[in-house]
Amino acid sequence: MMWKLIKLEWKKNNIGKYIRNAVILAAILCLFIFSLAYLGIANDPDTGIPDAAPNNGTISSPIELFTSMSFLIFTSVMLSTFIVSAYKNKTMNLMFSYPIKRQKILISEMLAVWIFNFAALVLTKLLIYGCVLLGSRFFVSSFPIDFHMESVSFHIQLVIKSMVTVTIGFIALFIGMVMKSSKATILSSFLLILFTQANIGDLTMAGNAVFPIVLTGISLVFAFLSICRVEIDDLM
Amino acid sequence: MSYILQTNHLTKTIGGKTLVKNINIHIKKGEIYGFLGPNGAGKTTVMKMITNLWKPTEGIIEIFGKPLTVQSYEALKRMGSIIEFPTFYEHMTGYENLVLHSEYMGYYNHGSIENALDMLGLTDAAKKLVKNYSLGMKERLGIARAILCKPELLILDEPTNGLDPAGIKQIRELLKTLCTEYGITVMISTHILSEIESIADRIGIIHHGTMKKEISMKEIEQMSFAYIELSVQNEKKAAYLLSEKLKLSNFKIVEKETIRIYDNHVSTQEISRVLTQNDVPVVAIGKKAETLEDYFLKLTAEVGNDVETD
Repeated sequence: MMWKLIKLEWKKNNIGKYIRNAVILAAILCLFIFSLAYLGIANDPDTGIPDAAPNNGTISSPIELFTSMSFLIFTSVMLSTFIVSAYKNKTMNLMFSYPIKRQKILISEMLAVWIFNFAALVLTKLLIYGCVLLGSRFFVSSFPIDFHMESVSFHIQLVIKSMVTVTIGFIALFIGMVMKSSKATILSSFLLILFTQANIGDLTMAGNAVFPIVLTGISLVFAFLSICRVEIDDLM
Repeated sequence: MSYILQTNHLTKTIGGKTLVKNINIHIKKGEIYGFLGPNGAGKTTVMKMITNLWKPTEGIIEIFGKPLTVQSYEALKRMGSIIEFPTFYEHMTGYENLVLHSEYMGYYNHGSIENALDMLGLTDAAKKLVKNYSLGMKERLGIARAILCKPELLILDEPTNGLDPAGIKQIRELLKTLCTEYGITVMISTHILSEIESIADRIGIIHHGTMKKEISMKEIEQMSFAYIELSVQNEKKAAYLLSEKLKLSNFKIVEKETIRIYDNHVSTQEISRVLTQNDVPVVAIGKKAETLEDYFLKLTAEVGNDVETD
């Protein structure tokens, strides 16, 4: 039942358009990272050394940073279209007239976005890591290559980091739903990027292992808050 | 008496403001119920509560013999509705929107979509994207969607908005057909009285959030009888015949060749027959009655204010 609802969400929200956009985004990111590594676009013109922040000197840092940023925004855009806009343009009135539990409808919408973005993010990262690895056979990378695609832990980490990134989008969704605004949803995702990638004094939020776990927990709480009162609240 | 839908002291308050108060509605199976009221009277509020979009502050809604609760999803399966204006996925065609609706309703019946489109005259437009539909076409597609799954109860909130006179007539005839041929019960709200005067079996009149009257159209007809107006060439002989042959006493000659009969126990056919048999040709004869419009205005006491009576 839930899988059927998710497929209907994709169908009615014209998922083909999002697949096309995700492919374009992945291609741009891949080209950008490839340029960073092998075309020296981030190198200091005087010294020829990559102009990177401390602790971000290896190639996996910009890959993780730019893919996460991009797909967190992509997730928030989709959440705002699938859910926040549906409230605004009243298609949610139609959805809530169906003999389906309202919470189930909202969960299916959230999962439709989550699954799509998780898959897109994992595939994009694999594409970029693969291209960088392939490039290293022919060129010398400006940034040290610090990953091993053949190791299982690399793939586990990639999957977990992608799950965390996409799940954070639920915080943006909650803010958008409370403020009844698609713009607020997308803007919140920008603020979340700033927050999650920030360096506060000596504490680097992005590099902290506990931080993603806490953030995922908070995101799931916000996801729950987004749907917990939907059965009893009036649909305004 | 069992009702397919009834409300008991239905009240809705939002932000300290009472939108509707103590609304009692009684709708029998298979009838067309006209829900009348000026703009802002509370019709949509009541219909939103009936379709479970809003929850009552007080009171009970009973649909299909069971109280409506937040978990009454089975009741929604047996209902079709349009509240305010119908919304669609505009990038999809009319046909695709109806397919989607069937999927969500869990209703799979071969040919039902084509049938619904045909009933609303949308067969040719079915393959067009909804964003290219006119307002009237969207309204008709909304009705097609509402009747698609053969609901037992149809809730229509001002469904003729944006329709031209021919479209309104078509919807009126369609509702009558749905009611008589398929046994569908219809609750239709409107502020345009002429829309439902000819099709409604019962009406409920709401004003300023309270139910003013719930009454059958038959009762209105009986209550509203005023007089029979008779045009004859020889009014004096006609008056004599009315008095002597038909034993009528409550009538008067209002002007030359015109008589008004206030007795309500004699039919126009009987009067015509007696006068014709006695060589008094009848030029015209007809019952004059209070219209639904007069009745409505009397109840709401807002003559020509915000009520359309065309």
